[in-house]
Amino acid sequence: MEETKTEYKNIYYPPGGILMWILITLELITFGIALIALVYQSKENPELYHESRLMLNTTFGAINTVFLLVSGFFMATTVHLFKQQKYDRSVFYLKLTMLGGFLFLGLKSIEYYEKLNMGLILDYNTFFTFYWLLTGFHVIHVLVGLVILSFFYFTLKKQKTQDNLEDIEAGAAFWHMCDLIWLLLFPVIYLIL
Amino acid sequence: MRNKDIYTLTLLIFLTIITAIISVNYNNFSFVSIIILGLSGIKFLAVSFQFMELKKANSFWKILISALLFIIIGIISILV
Repeated sequence: MEETKTEYKNIYYPPGGILMWILITLELITFGIALIALVYQSKENPELYHESRLMLNTTFGAINTVFLLVSGFFMATTVHLFKQQKYDRSVFYLKLTMLGGFLFLGLKSIEYYEKLNMGLILDYNTFFTFYWLLTGFHVIHVLVGLVILSFFYFTLKKQKTQDNLEDIEAGAAFWHMCDLIWLLLFPVIYLIL
Repeated sequence: MRNKDIYTLTLLIFLTIITAIISVNYNNFSFVSIIILGLSGIKFLAVSFQFMELKKANSFWKILISALLFIIIGIISILV
């Protein structure tokens, strides 16, 4: 089937829409500044930050990275199939995308549970203040992304037309933004300090 | 499924495994942090250009997102 074409080369119509890309830019700037602040703070007490970082479960972080990357791949496939008007397959891949998000949240919950049991709460030290705030805000983004994807799932089941293309692309861009933020958070918080 | 997306996902998972191996085995060397950040930067660009279809967008968005990434990773690399 023929794929729906959109004029992405126009500066006002990037894939997902200009408002979504302004949001993505602002989010990246915000998380970027917070990560730079974390690394800057770590220079004042490197041992504390290094020892605190070693208390994190790197394996959980790496598995969660894979969950988000695979979920992002399914999201890209969902949009591609939607443009080809293969709606049933598109809905199937949308469900797989959401499954990736739920697996991420499930593993994150286990990680948080472990940290809370160890008493590593928000005010344990400055490293864990950064850890809880940065990963917590990221989790909120994933939750919002899942709400958006759930909305699309129910819309797509009822209304199988290309009218929803812009909304689907915007939702996909938001979901991929969660990947991008995590790809910055994971190495800095879990690996390099 | 598009072949390019599958290749990109394979590359992303491969880089994630390589990053994990490097960080576990060679964490005593200072340059390792920069390598890990560099690999994460490649993953960031792969997701944004392939999965988010930034490659089809106007150059303005490509330059903006790439510049943001290089500034963030550049500053962190200097500080680490």
